[in-house]
Amino acid sequence: MFHKALWIQNYKQSKMLIWILTIIFVIHLPFQTMIAIENWREYPHFYSATEYDIYRLFIGGSLPFFVLIATAILAGLLIGIERNTRRNDFTFSLPFKRGDMYLAKWIYGALSISVIHTVTFFTAYLILFTSEYAYRLQWFSLTELFLTPLIGYVLFFSFAMFIGTIAGEMISQVVLTFIFAIFPFGLFVLLGYGFDLHFRFNWEPPEWILYAAPLLFPFLNQQDQSLVNPLLVALPWTIATLAIGYFLYQRNKVEHNGEFLLFKQLQPVFLVGIVVCFALLGGMLISAIVPWGMTDLQVIAYWIGFLVFALFSYLLSRRLLSMNVTVKNK
Amino acid sequence: MKVEQVSKRIHQHQVLKDITFDIKPGNIVGIIGRNGAGKTTLLRTLVGILDPSHGDVKIDGKSIYKHPETKQDVIFVPDSSEALKSYSTKELVKLYKAVYPRFEEKYFNDLMDRFSLPPTKKIGNYSKGMKALFSLVVAFSTKARYIILDEPTDGLDVIVKRRVLKILVEEVALSDVSVIISSHRLDELEFMANDIIMIKDGKVDSHYELDEMKSMYKKVQVVFSQYMPKEIESQVNILNQTGRVYTIIIPNESTGVEAAIKNENPLLFEELTMSLEDVFVAKLGGEEFVS
Repeated sequence: MFHKALWIQNYKQSKMLIWILTIIFVIHLPFQTMIAIENWREYPHFYSATEYDIYRLFIGGSLPFFVLIATAILAGLLIGIERNTRRNDFTFSLPFKRGDMYLAKWIYGALSISVIHTVTFFTAYLILFTSEYAYRLQWFSLTELFLTPLIGYVLFFSFAMFIGTIAGEMISQVVLTFIFAIFPFGLFVLLGYGFDLHFRFNWEPPEWILYAAPLLFPFLNQQDQSLVNPLLVALPWTIATLAIGYFLYQRNKVEHNGEFLLFKQLQPVFLVGIVVCFALLGGMLISAIVPWGMTDLQVIAYWIGFLVFALFSYLLSRRLLSMNVTVKNK
Repeated sequence: MKVEQVSKRIHQHQVLKDITFDIKPGNIVGIIGRNGAGKTTLLRTLVGILDPSHGDVKIDGKSIYKHPETKQDVIFVPDSSEALKSYSTKELVKLYKAVYPRFEEKYFNDLMDRFSLPPTKKIGNYSKGMKALFSLVVAFSTKARYIILDEPTDGLDVIVKRRVLKILVEEVALSDVSVIISSHRLDELEFMANDIIMIKDGKVDSHYELDEMKSMYKKVQVVFSQYMPKEIESQVNILNQTGRVYTIIIPNESTGVEAAIKNENPLLFEELTMSLEDVFVAKLGGEEFVS
């Protein structure tokens, strides 16, 4: 996994994204901190010293979402894009074990994210620490402000890499990463809506659902959670995705490169899954058009939406599962 | 290198069936077959890009799939340099030096000079001919023992093609490197290869030395007083027919076809020089041959 050639290759095919990720982190942490301090000074009454201000500065806001998009694309550039082009042929013809190739990609990505996050975080921390608002840092521990989002980003990257070992190309890798990263929560919402409409049974999402969704992890405010320490969930999650990805990458069938899925055994499962989820979503969207309170009509609209979306998603996903997106220029 | 009973199934289709052959040092081996016969799949399996459904490929008795480090002795040159198009020459040398410990930079520079290839900031900027030459220069500089080329002269003009063939023949003559080439240019293979492996429907149809293969058939021009009798027509490959003048390929004497033709007292029976292309037609059939 520490073969120099693999590092040269990984850097070469992803360096632009590493720079983009660095810029996002610089804006997210040091730059935002400077702006926030200026705002606090300028409008001391408007920004009353709440813990939420600090949370939003280091964890929340929209920029971490851009970090996650960049992270998914980074994983796509390390695995998925190789499958769209002839690069996978080159990589697999090299005299290295496939397991080593996967670990080299994983370590390269996880290390890059960690280094960029650490450097930009402590720059921001130092800026705040040397200001008159240093006392606000005491409201949170370093584990909460620094370690939880960091492990969240690494978990998301590891998850995106694992999805790369079952997806046949880059676009499906990135799309599936986001779908599955919110899947437990999303499915709960879809099912919950159906239950609520039909049986007036309001189902609150349990807290563990948040922990099971890698997309939500970097946004967790640890002080709001009561179940367990998020780190105790994120670490086994990260190790599990790394281990399964490592196992599957060695069994990847390159002949299916460019197709939606690499493992044909998964095709029926995906077909059923896509159709059911889209049908539930269709039911939810169409029934929402009916004015609130007209329950019977809402139920009818729900089933019309359910069936229409099921039909079209079935037709579309059959095409999707048999597509091939490979660049074959000379 | 030993290829042992390699089979490969792709999309429920048996692309390779029980392929077995050896590659000896210092040989140029040509792999030929019609379109879709499985040549590229075979080459991709030989370097571990594809996993075989069955069988193994061994170098010095070690499986390349279980011991990928043995692939330091193998380099695959695909028919496209797409994978490396964003690299500069300098970056590529750095990469190859890290992959192949025996990579000789000086030798690489000498070959670059010899073939008038300027260093570039992007391999993708090279012309098609330059890319083909460059791929070979890199491959020979790695000092790998086996060089696997997928259609190396495909789409090149005559001048570049000659240079590509020149570098191939010269390099093999200088060292003990073995070159495995899949090509549809039978005339080129004829000029270079000592060994020919014919692939038909995913199986090795035949594996012979070139001269031995040619000696298995005869190409003759024959003129009959009437048209060719039906019983003879079924035993020969007709390359060309103009009236009663036939150019045909017949199996060698032991099968008795030649005697049967002579019994018909043809007006002319003249033996012509056999080319690899003629063997190809005889073995794999059809006029619109080769991929």
